[in-house]
Amino acid sequence: MMGAASELLSLVVSGLASGSAYALLALGVVIIFRSTDAVNFAIGQTGVIALYLAGLLLTAGAPLWLVMVGAIIVGAGLGVVTERAFIRPLGHRKNFAFISLVVTIGLTFMLQALIGAVWGHPPRGFPPLVAGTMQIGDFAVAWNKIVATGVALACMGVVAFFFGRTPLGIAMRASAEDHFAARIVGLDANRISILAWSLGCGLATLAMFFLAAEQSLSSTLADHSLFRAFAGVFLGGLTSMPGAVLGGFAIGILDNLAGGYVSPNFRDTIVFGVIVVLLFLRPAGLLGTARKQRV
Amino acid sequence: MSIPHTASAHRQALLRRAAMAAIGALALAALAGGLVSGDYARFLAGSVAFTAITILSISILAGVCGIWSLGHTAFIAIGAYTSANLAAAGWPLEAILPVVAIAAAAVGYLLGVSAGRFSILYFGLLTLAVALSTGEVVGRFSDLTGGDNGLMVPPMKSLLLQRELLPADGPAVAVVLSTLVFILSDWVVTGTIGERWRAVKSQRIAASAIGLVPHRANANAFAFSAAIAAVGGVATALVVGFLDPIVFDLRSAIMLIVGSVVGGIGSFLGAVVGATFIVGVPEAGRAFKDVSAFALGAAMVLVLLVLPRGVAPTLADFLRYGWRRVRAPRATIGGSAAAQTVTQLTRRLMPACREPLRIENLSVAFGGLSVLQRMSLTVAPGETVGLIGPNGAGKTTLINVISGFVEHTGCDMLRFGDVDLLRGSVHARLGHGIGRTFQHAELFDELTIREMLLVAACQRSAGAAVAGLPAPEEIADAILDALKLRAVADALPEELPFGIRKVADIGRTLAAGARFVALDEPFSGLDAGEIAELRDILRSMKAAGVSILLIDHAVQEVLDITDRVVVLNFGTVLASGTPRDISDNADVQQAYFGRKAVRPDEAVHG
Repeated sequence: MMGAASELLSLVVSGLASGSAYALLALGVVIIFRSTDAVNFAIGQTGVIALYLAGLLLTAGAPLWLVMVGAIIVGAGLGVVTERAFIRPLGHRKNFAFISLVVTIGLTFMLQALIGAVWGHPPRGFPPLVAGTMQIGDFAVAWNKIVATGVALACMGVVAFFFGRTPLGIAMRASAEDHFAARIVGLDANRISILAWSLGCGLATLAMFFLAAEQSLSSTLADHSLFRAFAGVFLGGLTSMPGAVLGGFAIGILDNLAGGYVSPNFRDTIVFGVIVVLLFLRPAGLLGTARKQRV
Repeated sequence: MSIPHTASAHRQALLRRAAMAAIGALALAALAGGLVSGDYARFLAGSVAFTAITILSISILAGVCGIWSLGHTAFIAIGAYTSANLAAAGWPLEAILPVVAIAAAAVGYLLGVSAGRFSILYFGLLTLAVALSTGEVVGRFSDLTGGDNGLMVPPMKSLLLQRELLPADGPAVAVVLSTLVFILSDWVVTGTIGERWRAVKSQRIAASAIGLVPHRANANAFAFSAAIAAVGGVATALVVGFLDPIVFDLRSAIMLIVGSVVGGIGSFLGAVVGATFIVGVPEAGRAFKDVSAFALGAAMVLVLLVLPRGVAPTLADFLRYGWRRVRAPRATIGGSAAAQTVTQLTRRLMPACREPLRIENLSVAFGGLSVLQRMSLTVAPGETVGLIGPNGAGKTTLINVISGFVEHTGCDMLRFGDVDLLRGSVHARLGHGIGRTFQHAELFDELTIREMLLVAACQRSAGAAVAGLPAPEEIADAILDALKLRAVADALPEELPFGIRKVADIGRTLAAGARFVALDEPFSGLDAGEIAELRDILRSMKAAGVSILLIDHAVQEVLDITDRVVVLNFGTVLASGTPRDISDNADVQQAYFGRKAVRPDEAVHG
């Protein structure tokens, strides 16, 4: 028999664990959006196909950590290819963010079909980096979840350091505020977009790696978490990296609490209902900044 | 309701609707005459018909309002499940349709009101929430919806046909419904109502300055679109005969958006193209699931890369213009020959002002930055006051406070006659007789110059009802002639040089018929001919007794035209007096040029 406090703790901890995947995806979305104004809906699916490709290493007998690193590199590379092949040719047009969203939705369909054609749709097992469970009080938590949260937090720390302390990171932030001015002071837009897309898609691949071990690897692995990640992005503010991370974690916890305490049948309604109410109070997200209209 | 446009536009609209009716009749004949035979082919035809309705509902909303909705599956579900349940209770189709349309419109209105508060992407999230909870609500109320098991649609009666509709009738009824919906939508979208929606879409700020209420326009459009989607839901129920909750899930919502983007946003033909695309591609590749899914995704990407505006509009442009680029006729403006007509027109359109505008101790701060500090200003009835001062002096902010766009941080009085302007919304200003122009013209991107003048003229009759006014289209035509805009009447703002846009902005104020007009840098960016034209317009507004507050850096023009000049510097009134006093004032020269007055003989040595 679980105590009330223990049940709450259990819901929060596992909420944090799934939240770490949403937060990584959300962070990737925001990094790409801030640097190139594009909304990459295919970010999750890019991670999934990177896992399938890196899975070839696994069948060849490579250790799992190498598979993880390989998958991240493949995911990052696919991100750069996506930007080159599908986003840059769009040029600067009206509603660019929206058009890029629809293009990457199309790309998601293509990648999903490709996975189905090559590897088949039935889910396949994927080994966790660390197997087994850890006992915390009354309940057990899979090591995979704990490692996932830890690795995610570490990555976020690295990203924060990169954007906060290194000259290149600071330059990228400056570029996000004003692309035109950034080019005038000599920042290389090309290098910045390569960095942003590889970083964003690499983080997404990492999220998919732990998610695959928790569930199983399938062509639709990213679907569920992607919508939650986007909810996290909006909750935190589309322009704020810390906001996206906080938003992702908040959605993970909120989702678990809604499922645990209210009704598992109305999870989505509750999660998105809460976000909508919050957005009514702060239309630009919790940490985002509104773009003012000139009069 | 619809404004009678020029005869040719009117004829075009009738032709368009006749063509829609003809296409519908042809499709119906093909179904009835056995040209489309076999249950499967008829089912596909019906599917395209109901999908065209639902895509149109989304596409119109995006096209005329710039709002994207993922939540329209909720309205389709309202239409489908309500019709199934009402049919079970013995209701005929003709009674079901208005009921579901009104129910969906009511829900849509509530959603639409909130659209203005968010950016496109954020509103997309709100509608995503609606889409996700639709699935959960359908699952929960299984008595009415059959839950996950789905619901058989009971046979529906038809009053017109005087019999029960058979499953085989479904596709034909869907074709009829879609034809009716298309014709009705064309009438609404190209009429006055649609023009207002488009005005609000492209320039919310300028739209509210001529008295439109952006969130109400959004809500009306959303309600209309929701009603269409619900009718699409009824057609879905009739064609499919079985309501599987998967029809209303998020993937379907995304597919509808795909259909509207591929076909062409806001395009009626595009809705049919899009429907054929999202029904046809998966069906064609049914045997090879991954191939068809891949083709669907690849086609989306390709269309957006190659045909940025979607299939139908690109095709229409090609048929109309071939490879040639569209060039707008360059209008010539200027010459004082127009002065006489402009004066007559202004006297006719603009009522004389009888109220003073009084501002006392107005302060505005943005964050810690104080822009206006306890400044006071009075504009007497019929007076023309010039407001000059260096950049950052607070001139535009003052206009923005008067027209309601900027909140003051302290003010003892802001009154226009008896009307307290400290309260009340932006769009109510025109009703009180206050109009303005914009430094960057801020025309409505998607309305032609004539349509813009019409919308403004309609607002005038709705707002300040003045007896003996000509009809809106007469007002628009008179302004086009007097301001020599006739040659560009059917051009969109982006096709026009900046000077003409600024003249058109003044035309909008004329059409709206304000008696107090605030002009934000009307002379900037104009060439000599346009400046002369504008001078004539301003003089005739003055002669008509309109109160004018004029901001500009063209100091000589301001001094020439105004009765009184107020000099602002760092948010306070530095000097005020007749143009002559001001041009001799040393402090003014100090503020404006950063030095004492320099006599020409001294300047030679400097």
